[in-house]
Amino acid sequence: MIIEIGHYALVLALATALIVSVMPMIGARRGDMALMTLATTGSLTLFLLVTLSFGALTWAYAVSDFSVMNVWENSHSLMPMIYKYSGVWGNHEGSMMLWLLILTFFSALVAVFGRNLPETLKANVLAVQAWIATAFLFFILLTSNPFLRLNPAPAEGQDLNPVLQDLGLAIHPPLLYLGYVGFSVSFSFAVAALIDGRIDAAWARWVRPWTLAAWTCLTAGIAMGSYWAYYELGWGGWWFWDPVENASFMPWLAGTALLHSALVMEKREALKIWTVLLAIMTFSLSLLGTFLVRSGVLTSVHAFATDPTRGIFILCILALFIGGAFALFAWRAPMLKAGGIFAPISREGALVLNNLILTVATATVLTGTLYPLVLETLTGEKISVGAPFFNMTFGLLMLPLLVVVPFGPMLAWKRGDLLGAFQRLYAFAGLALLAGLAFYYAQHGGPVMAIFGLALGFWGMFGALADLWHRGGFGKAKFSVAVRRLAGLPRSAFGAAIGHFGLGVTVLGIVSATTFGTETVVEMKPGASVDAGGYSLTFDGMRDAVGPNYTESRGHFTVARGGVTVADVWSAKRLYTARRMPTTEAGILSFGASQLYVSLGDAMDGGGIVVRIWWKPFILCIWGGALVMMFGGFVSLSDRRLRVGAPSRRAKAARPRLEAAE
Amino acid sequence: MTRKQKRLAVIGGGMSFIIAAVLLVMFAFSQSVAYFFMPADIAKADLKPGTRIRLGGLVAEGSVKRGQGSTVSFTVTDGTGNVPVTYTGILPDLFREGQGVVTEGAFDAATHGFVADSVLAKHDENYMPKEVADRLKKDGVWKEGQGPQGNQDKGVATR
Amino acid sequence: MGPMVLWIILALLTAAVAASLLVPLARRSQAASGKRAGEVEVYRDQLKELQRDRAQGLIGAEEAEYARAEIGRRLIAAAAGDGGDPTSVQGPVRHRIATAIVTLLPPALGLCLYLGLGNPGLPDQPLEARLADPGSNLALLVAKAERHLAEDPNDGGGWDLLAPIYFRTSRFGDAEMAFRNAIRILGPNAARQSGLGETLVTLNDGIVTEEARASFEQAAKLDPDNPRPRFYLGLGLEQAGRAAEAKAVFEEIAGKSPPDAPWMPLLNEHIAKNGGETKPADAPSRAPGNPTSQDVAAAQDMSQGDRQTMIRGMVESLAARLKEDPDNLEGWLRLVRSYSVLGDKPKAQEALDQGLARFPAAGREGQQLVALATEMGLAVKGADREGVTQ
Repeated sequence: MIIEIGHYALVLALATALIVSVMPMIGARRGDMALMTLATTGSLTLFLLVTLSFGALTWAYAVSDFSVMNVWENSHSLMPMIYKYSGVWGNHEGSMMLWLLILTFFSALVAVFGRNLPETLKANVLAVQAWIATAFLFFILLTSNPFLRLNPAPAEGQDLNPVLQDLGLAIHPPLLYLGYVGFSVSFSFAVAALIDGRIDAAWARWVRPWTLAAWTCLTAGIAMGSYWAYYELGWGGWWFWDPVENASFMPWLAGTALLHSALVMEKREALKIWTVLLAIMTFSLSLLGTFLVRSGVLTSVHAFATDPTRGIFILCILALFIGGAFALFAWRAPMLKAGGIFAPISREGALVLNNLILTVATATVLTGTLYPLVLETLTGEKISVGAPFFNMTFGLLMLPLLVVVPFGPMLAWKRGDLLGAFQRLYAFAGLALLAGLAFYYAQHGGPVMAIFGLALGFWGMFGALADLWHRGGFGKAKFSVAVRRLAGLPRSAFGAAIGHFGLGVTVLGIVSATTFGTETVVEMKPGASVDAGGYSLTFDGMRDAVGPNYTESRGHFTVARGGVTVADVWSAKRLYTARRMPTTEAGILSFGASQLYVSLGDAMDGGGIVVRIWWKPFILCIWGGALVMMFGGFVSLSDRRLRVGAPSRRAKAARPRLEAAE
Repeated sequence: MTRKQKRLAVIGGGMSFIIAAVLLVMFAFSQSVAYFFMPADIAKADLKPGTRIRLGGLVAEGSVKRGQGSTVSFTVTDGTGNVPVTYTGILPDLFREGQGVVTEGAFDAATHGFVADSVLAKHDENYMPKEVADRLKKDGVWKEGQGPQGNQDKGVATR
Repeated sequence: MGPMVLWIILALLTAAVAASLLVPLARRSQAASGKRAGEVEVYRDQLKELQRDRAQGLIGAEEAEYARAEIGRRLIAAAAGDGGDPTSVQGPVRHRIATAIVTLLPPALGLCLYLGLGNPGLPDQPLEARLADPGSNLALLVAKAERHLAEDPNDGGGWDLLAPIYFRTSRFGDAEMAFRNAIRILGPNAARQSGLGETLVTLNDGIVTEEARASFEQAAKLDPDNPRPRFYLGLGLEQAGRAAEAKAVFEEIAGKSPPDAPWMPLLNEHIAKNGGETKPADAPSRAPGNPTSQDVAAAQDMSQGDRQTMIRGMVESLAARLKEDPDNLEGWLRLVRSYSVLGDKPKAQEALDQGLARFPAAGREGQQLVALATEMGLAVKGADREGVTQ
């Protein structure tokens, strides 16, 4: 009965979404408060209904109710409880439910916290959110219904795909979706503003925190996914330029650009039209990401749906929303008033350069991802665009960005002093180069170009410090004064510095892991040992073990350095019994930020086994940097300034006094 | 400089960056795009040794031989043509004889054999690399839905 | 709880949703208030921030003045636009249409879609509850045994019991594991070794592999009178191309078997194939659908395409034979499985329905068909759970 209630709640949610899609918008046109308020209550009701429905599905998973087809297909009664829960979104139908849940969650947040938005804007934003919800509700109910039943119910499920039975999966998709779907709010704001034909200052104040929140979650989600692929897939890579990875990376790039352009708009009212366009593009890329993942049009590690009707349905959603938004943009954008003016060399100019590079980089990734698809559709020729393409194009495009990042915060608004920025930064640049050299020396060689890569990483980190250094006035004022000044800086200044610092850390990790890492593939017999990264691994032999729903044979290794045993590690070949699917469990040992990564291959005749051993120096910096970026996002989000755009009722009642302007 | 000239300079700079990026993309495509071939196409296509391609098909029964260390040789077949492949590294968990596979690499000038540096195999009972499945279906060698639920696509590669 | 309770809850849910949406409509409609107040606040904050930035040297003195002027202009515009917004001043608005839509849409759309999509009559079936009262549902009994074995994997008796059931319900992978576990814990006996061998043969498309051969050999050693393992040993020899030895084995079995044993025709066929002479037996009515080893061997030599065609052909002939002789459960199981594996779902469904017509789902044999259907993702028509539990 619970399941049927959940199913019905989903149907009711569709009815509610339809009402919220239309009525508040009519209200906004006619200035009818009642219809506009309907958006608020309606969005909350919608969220509650979807939560109820999602809860019912989760319950079905928790109690292994195999009369629900979706549960039967993706769960197993003997699975650990945590994977029963994460199994809810470990499949197509469930992940669409999660998408919808997060979408309505964001609508509810806007409904609750947007109390002080201009009424028409809020009504329009919530209505646009409801359009998206309506489309996805139709999609779920008609093509991917998770509540379909089986009668009679089977006695045992078919098990969750073993690759997905991992703690990483429990957290990765929700975070990623929080990011993806979070951009829907920016999108809805953009579309609402276009419908309204007016963008006021509160608009940017509102868009930026939502973008920031979505961006922060997406950063975490991508880092998480990358780490998950790294340790779960067992081939030692951490980024494959897989279409699905690109699908999450493109909104991140566009979102980063949006974050920066919204800053200009929020502070200086410039770049209005561009920001609106970027908001639309970012969410369009999120939708495209959903399309690429869900329709399975691209062969990929992640595609779990290959049903063409779904693909066509998503394609329609895509065309409707992206096409519609762009058409609206083309029609209404000329009506938006341009904002403040600025010189090319200025903070605004630097942010425009940031936007230019990020947008072009996004376009490059998009081209590489879609080109094979387009070519196959047009000519029938099948090609693959792999990592070399992306490394070459994206890598080269990112270089100038990394070089100029520290300059941006050094430039004044409206008109900056490039020479002054140079003077402030050259000492830090020298330090970065020195640090790069020292790092290179400590790693005992490698390609000489690596020095520049490393220096670039350090440059990013030191540049961020230089920003805080100068804003505090260290070196000029007394130390205590400088500290006090630093403490008085707005949180967003710290957020920006921390974010840029994290970028530097990630770059450092990437350069270090790719240029100084080693890879050894050897056949080992028990007792044999092999060296990697200054450690020596001795193969102790294979042992069998049994897990809750799998059996595995583990290869045990003892790790020693300078003859002293420091750790032991095992890697396993695992067989999941329900699907009879073998997987490889990598053995990973961390030494500081560096890692030793051991993966088993095939057993050879004569008792040997092929073993693959990687030494990955400072690889943890890659994800560590992402965590730092995420932290920067949170710090920035906690800035009180971002809440000013929404004044309290009391402040609104008071007549604004013009003296404040002078 | 007047404001107009400045603006022109900025726009010019932006445009040249975009043009540089476009050229870069085109260059990268010419360098690193790998075309997909089945063994039957190889005979028809005039491939220079060293050209990166993707080669897909079924692993011929009884063709997998382990050589020195972790070097493996096997034959990729599509019913009409056969191409011998050598690969050094760890094969995917689901690499099996008679199953679909996609390899990426180039023909060696000296031995005329295909040297793969990446092997992609089907990842569970219902999955076949998309390109291979499409072709085999077209040729009628392989029929759809070899498992009860054909929706668990998990490609796994080793590099 | 009957379906009545469900309908009451659904009705209440609908009412709650409609009510929550009606609340804003029912209140006296007020005109939209001044909507630019927030904007004014933002501009004032921008001015404050400008001062801060100026103090920190983030903007030059001259530019700060320009910026101040820009913001000031907007502030004045926003302040002037505040309050009197002509479009928003409207008297109390009636929302008759809106109210009607909000009241009618949720129940109407809800009912229409739900009746089409939902299964209001189907209760929840948490696995724990079902396992507590499995009735005679074979699949559930198996699941129960599986859970017991998951807790106590060293209960050899459990594995021994499950293994042949797995085999009969075509869960060959599990059967292999169960046979192996039973042998590991309880030690080998003829039935287990023979069962493992047959499982391995089935898993390998009818080929007697080296491991299977070893298994049969041990079974034959443990129970020399059982013709089953010996037959497979002969089959292995035949597949290896050692016809004379194979013939000797088959003839030996034939010699030991009573002349009216059901496997005699099959044996004779193999003897003939390996170049032996057989007594003219009864009509060659071997178990329908079992591909002879000859078929299998032939299949191995064929190209993929031919093999598909041949498999198709074999399946069609099996279907034809079952039409004449529908009392063959093994045959039905094989047919359903074959169609499913070939991806021909409609045919598989058809075969399943026909099989179930012969062997009702309530019965012991029907249960095997139901289990197979479940595994293959086919729907079992006309067999409610209640019906299954006899």
